[in-house]
Amino acid sequence: MKKSERKPLSWVKLDNAAKIYPAVRRKKWSNVFRQSATLIEEIDKDVLSSALKTVVKRFPAIAARLRKSAFWYYLQEIDAPPEIMDEYSYPLTFMSRKEMRRCAFRVIVYKNRIAVEFFHSLTDGTGALVFLKNLVAEYLEQKYDISVPCEDGIVDRKAEPREEELEDSFLKVAGNVPLSRKDTTAWHMNGEPEVGGYLNLTCFKLSVNQVIEKAHEYNTTLTVFLGAVMMKALANLQKEKTRSRKKQKPVKLLIPVNLRSLYPSETLRNFAMFTIPEIDPRQGDYTIDEIVKVIYHKMGAEVTAKHMSGVIAANVKDEKNMFLRVVPLPLKNAVMKAVFDSVGECKSCLNLSNLGLVKMPDIMKKYVTRMDFILGVQAAAPYNCGVLSYGDTVYMNFIRNIREPDLERHFYNVLKELGIETVLESNRK
Amino acid sequence: MYCINCGVKLETSEEICPLCGTAVCHPDVKIDREKQLYPKGRIPEIKHRSKAFNGAVIIMFLIPIVVSFLADFHFDREIRWFAYVLGALVIGYTVFALPLWFEKPNPVIFTPCVVAETIGYLLYINCVNGGGWFLSFAFPVAGGFGLIATAVVALLYYLKKGKLYIWGGAFILTGGFIMLIEFFMSITFDIEFFGWSLYPLSVLVLLGGLMIYLAINKSAREVMERKLFF
Repeated sequence: MKKSERKPLSWVKLDNAAKIYPAVRRKKWSNVFRQSATLIEEIDKDVLSSALKTVVKRFPAIAARLRKSAFWYYLQEIDAPPEIMDEYSYPLTFMSRKEMRRCAFRVIVYKNRIAVEFFHSLTDGTGALVFLKNLVAEYLEQKYDISVPCEDGIVDRKAEPREEELEDSFLKVAGNVPLSRKDTTAWHMNGEPEVGGYLNLTCFKLSVNQVIEKAHEYNTTLTVFLGAVMMKALANLQKEKTRSRKKQKPVKLLIPVNLRSLYPSETLRNFAMFTIPEIDPRQGDYTIDEIVKVIYHKMGAEVTAKHMSGVIAANVKDEKNMFLRVVPLPLKNAVMKAVFDSVGECKSCLNLSNLGLVKMPDIMKKYVTRMDFILGVQAAAPYNCGVLSYGDTVYMNFIRNIREPDLERHFYNVLKELGIETVLESNRK
Repeated sequence: MYCINCGVKLETSEEICPLCGTAVCHPDVKIDREKQLYPKGRIPEIKHRSKAFNGAVIIMFLIPIVVSFLADFHFDREIRWFAYVLGALVIGYTVFALPLWFEKPNPVIFTPCVVAETIGYLLYINCVNGGGWFLSFAFPVAGGFGLIATAVVALLYYLKKGKLYIWGGAFILTGGFIMLIEFFMSITFDIEFFGWSLYPLSVLVLLGGLMIYLAINKSAREVMERKLFF
């Protein structure tokens, strides 16, 4: 086929939230996250390649590469699926600009596990989960000759992508009056950096029933309860490191909010905001009960369609600013990076992102034994934590780029005090 | 399987407790390496910046050097202004391109190197032109600015805190130094000491003072942060 006869690859603009990620990339850091599914048997790479070929066509905005023009970045559909990679000793290895230009996501296989790592501009946790579930469904159908029904996020992979899945929902739900984004600076953890960019992963496996039962004792939900345990662990860690109470700083947790639960959207691109509950250890030691109330009321006030519309309006306002739009891309990047470095990550100690209970058709559950969600570390802060529940287990994946497992130790101690059992796994060298 | 030190329950695949680093040991349970989450010892190769890129940068610097050498020689049949171009390009290369060769270039070493090169360059110009302004003007001015710049770079690089104090002090010091520059100008070029340096001095002292005030006063700093960054 002549070059001119080839169908041009479709492209989409980055959504409102995705714009920041390419601009703030660093020489050894990019905002990448991973989701994985562990199956009952070793993965057949040939079948997975074939399944991937089908699935990338169904999700052109997720299975994409990152390109740039003079004024903006954009996502372009890939013409062929990426090669399946082998696992390294740690997840979320650095994704270079060159790699993103080729394909901004990776599919990695290790024994029984299929993992997909996404650059955050492609999609958020919810969109990524749909992609992974459909990849697994397609793999199972091809490998075991079964039929997976289109429910719980599984779609018809042979169909064309729907318009609603590709829309930038932020633009639709932005409010009339932008809300202020001002916030206080949080305490930041530090430690001795790992050599060569190694990332330490520690997975806490908890019983869903036990955690929910405990959360109900505090009249709250699983996310709020785990958030409270995390904040308590952070406060204890800060107390250990900074003896003087006066010198301590606010402990803040960034909890992402899936906006699809607030607005009628079916988009598979980024559509999440966040809320940042805060406790001030200078005022004294907080009990779990007090922290639960802080998070609960903060979320109650902010996780509402009206409040989020105001916050989104502030972000969308910048995007629509005529002056900012005509500024060349390198200048835009420099400004965005400077603002991000000075205010972006100072506002929380770490992210605690809970994808919730992963549902899938019963026929798939027979083959999928485990799911995981791993966030990359932040640009300047050493920790992050991704959570999801599958079956009767909560998988909490702590990732860190420093040597000392201080936060995990304190987190475990808080769990132990609360009488919650946990089993640990790690990729310790 | 439990850690004998901290008591945490571990998967049978764990060889070392992830919380306290104690080796896992159980007489009845064998470590199941097949179940380990990640393969051991598979570290991605760290790609250093391509040497070819650095070579291309050298060529970019070499082109004007060669062109100006040929032009100078062709028109004048002797080397006249070529050395100026060469000196400026060498300084430019040290500032912008030489750090690319290093994995972690240390600015505390590079800054005094650039200052020394600049002083050498000025000395050359002075000698060629017989200016007589080097010792009493160019050397103290370049040396003074070099000292301030090196001090700021070293403090910012090695101290993690107190950026506002450092910048505030540097502004005030620069203001004072500009007065000295006027003095050097007056004795070198026989110009009357007019006192124009008081204007930059007052502006720089005010800015430096404001920075030190913000460094001391936390609430004022937070107000400024809000005004500037939100």
